[in-house]
Amino acid sequence: MPQNASSGGKPAVLVIEDERALAEEIRYELEAEGYPVALAETRAEGLRVARAGGAAVLVVDRILNHEDGLSILEALREEGNPTPILVISALSSVDDRIRGLKAGGDDYLVKPFELRELTARVEALSRRIPDSRATRLRAGPLEMDLVERTVRRSERRVDLLPREFKLLEYFMRRPNQIITRAMLLEDVWNYKFLPQTNVVDVHIGNLRRKIDAGGEPRLIVNVRAAGFKLHVDD
Amino acid sequence: MWTIEVLKSRAFRLALAFALAIAAAAAFVFTLIYLQFSTAAVQLVGARLTYEATRALDENDDELREQITQRLVSDPRRLDYAGLFDAKGALLLGDPPSLPPIRIDGRAHLASSATLGGTGRPDQAIFVAVRRVDGAILVLGQSLSEINDLRETVARALALALAPTTLLILAIGVFFARRARRRVGVIHAAIAEIMKGDLKQRLPVISVADDLDRVARDVNLMLDEIWRLLDQLRHIGDDIAHDLRTPLAVARAKIERGLERGGTIDELRAVMAEALNHLDRSAATISAFLRVSEMESGRRERRFGPVDLSAVCAGLFEFYEPLAQTKDVAIALSAPWPTLVRGDEDLLREAISNLIDNAIKFTPSGGRVRIAAATGNGRATVEVSDSGAGVPPQEREEIFRRFYRGARDNSAPGHGLGLSIVAAIAKLHGFCIAVEDNAPGARFRISGDALAIDSDEAPHDLGGAPPRRLRAPA
Repeated sequence: MPQNASSGGKPAVLVIEDERALAEEIRYELEAEGYPVALAETRAEGLRVARAGGAAVLVVDRILNHEDGLSILEALREEGNPTPILVISALSSVDDRIRGLKAGGDDYLVKPFELRELTARVEALSRRIPDSRATRLRAGPLEMDLVERTVRRSERRVDLLPREFKLLEYFMRRPNQIITRAMLLEDVWNYKFLPQTNVVDVHIGNLRRKIDAGGEPRLIVNVRAAGFKLHVDD
Repeated sequence: MWTIEVLKSRAFRLALAFALAIAAAAAFVFTLIYLQFSTAAVQLVGARLTYEATRALDENDDELREQITQRLVSDPRRLDYAGLFDAKGALLLGDPPSLPPIRIDGRAHLASSATLGGTGRPDQAIFVAVRRVDGAILVLGQSLSEINDLRETVARALALALAPTTLLILAIGVFFARRARRRVGVIHAAIAEIMKGDLKQRLPVISVADDLDRVARDVNLMLDEIWRLLDQLRHIGDDIAHDLRTPLAVARAKIERGLERGGTIDELRAVMAEALNHLDRSAATISAFLRVSEMESGRRERRFGPVDLSAVCAGLFEFYEPLAQTKDVAIALSAPWPTLVRGDEDLLREAISNLIDNAIKFTPSGGRVRIAAATGNGRATVEVSDSGAGVPPQEREEIFRRFYRGARDNSAPGHGLGLSIVAAIAKLHGFCIAVEDNAPGARFRISGDALAIDSDEAPHDLGGAPPRRLRAPA
C-alpha cells in the first residue's frame, strides 16, 4: 500500500519494480534517506498507485514481468501527470536510453547501479530547480552573479575559470543535494562516458581550493560512496 | 519409392507441362490448317457445281440426259450426284433418289444426303439445283466425304507426330528429375550432417556452374562465415567468462573469508568494500561487452554527422589538464585547425578520452602526454602519445582485441576494456587504429576519411575559424 504521508519532510517515492529483492534494497536505501516508499510489482498496480497520487517521484523498471514499463510513463504523461520519473533498466544502449526519455522519463539509470546513485537521482528529481532565469544565485556564504560572471564568498571575490564557474553554478542551484560524478559529467560537461580516472575529483579539488580560502569551512564536501554536496546552512 | 518422387519432382512436372503445351500447340496448328483447307475445298466444290449447273441450263434435253448418264458412269466412287427431276419433284433420271431440301436458285447449299433416302451414303454433300425452261429441275451435287476423310487423316498424322515427341520430352524430364534428385540427395545429406552440428561439412560442388552449383557455392561461403563468427563468438565467450568469473570468484572468496573469520565490523567492512570493487569490475565488463556488441552490430550509424575532432580534443584537453597537473604530467594540445570527420561525436569523444585516460594513467611523474589532431591528404588523424612504458611490439595488435589485458593491467585496471571500446568505435566509423613506439612511450593513432570543410555537411561557423588553441607543454 502506498504511504502517502510524508515523514521528515521528504516526498514519497513510488518504486515500480517486479524484482522483489532489488525493490526491497531500493526501499531500504530510500527510507534510510528519509523518503516514504511505496512498492508496486506489476504494471497495473503501479499505474493504479501512481494515479492515486501522493508519490512525488516514480522509479520505474523498464521491463516488468515481460510488460513494458515505458507504457506506464506514456499512460501517465498522456493523462497530464507531470510526476518526475526515473527509469531503471538493464538495457543500456543509447537507443534504449533515448526511448526511455522520449516516453516521458526524466532520468535513466542502467542496472547494475550504485544505490547512492539512485537516491541522488531521486533527490534531484524531487527538488524543483528554482527559477532558472534568476541572474543572481545565493547559497550560504556564496554569491554568484550570472551576468557579470563573478563569484563572491562573504565579500571575498573568487576568480574562477569558465568551467569551474559552470561547475559551481551547478552546485549552487542544488544546495545540500548529493551530486554524483555521473551527474556532473552528464550535466556540466555533457559527456556520456565515465572516465576510468578520478578526473572529476581533481576538478572539484581545484574548485574547492579557490572557494575555500585558508581556514574557511569546506563548502563542497565529499559524500561517501556517492559524490559531492554543497553544504550550506539555511 | 523413387518413381513417385521423380514424378513429383519439379523437373518432371516441368517436362510434363512442356509436353502438354507442345501437344496443345500442335493440335491448334493442325486444326487451323484443316479448317482453312476444308473451307477452301468446300468453296471450290460449290463454285464448280454452280458453274456447271448454269451451263447445263443452255443444253438441250438430250444432251443433258447424255451428260448426266456420262457423269454417273464416270464416277465409280459415287461421290457425285447428278439428277433430273420433273416440275413436281419426281426423279426422271440419275441420282439422288429424291429432291434435296434446298432452294432451287442455282447456288451451292449444304445438305445431308441421309435425308435423301436410298443409296445409303450417310454423308454431307453440296448441292446446286436449277430449274430449266421446261420446268424440270436439274440437281448437281458432290459428297463431302473426301473432305471429311481428310479430317481423320489429319488427326492420325497429329497423333503419330505427337506421341513420340511427348514421350521424348517426358523421358528427358525423368532423366533430369533423377539427376537433380541425386544431386539434391547428396546436398541434403550434407545439410543433415551440418544440422547435426558438423559445421565443417561443405556442400558438394561439381563444376558445371549451373544454378544448383551456384547455390551450393554460396551456401558454402555462408557456412565459412558462420563458422568464422561462431569461432569468434567462442573466443569472446571464453574472454567474457574469464573476465567475469575472475572478479566474481575473488569477490566470492573475500565474502566467504569475511563470513568465516568474522572479526571486527571494520575488518568486515574492508572485506565487503574489496568484494564490491570486484563486483563492480564484473559489471563494468558486462557493460563494456554490451557496448562493444551494440557498436559492432552497427545500430548507431544513423546518428552520424559532421564532427570536429579538433574541438573534441580541445574539450578533452581542458577536461584532463587538471588531472595531468596533479600527476605532474605535462599535457600538450596541438589542434590548430578544424579536423572534420563524419561520425558520432559522443562515441569519438569517448574513444579519444579513453586514449587520454590511459596515457595519463601510464605516464609516470615528470612525463608528457601530447594530443594532436590534424588533417592531411584527405585523412583526419588524432594522435595521443605519452612517455610511459610503451607497448611491446608483440602486443601492438593484441591490445585492441576484445577485453585483452596486458601485463601492466595489474598496476592499472580497466586498460583492456577501454581499448576494446576504442577499437570498436574506430571500426564502427571505418577508422584505423594503431599504436606505435613513441620512443619512449606509446603513440596511439586514430585516422579516418576527412570531411572537406566546404562540404555541405560541415557546420558553417567552421569555415573561416581562426586557429584553435595551440599550447606548449606546461
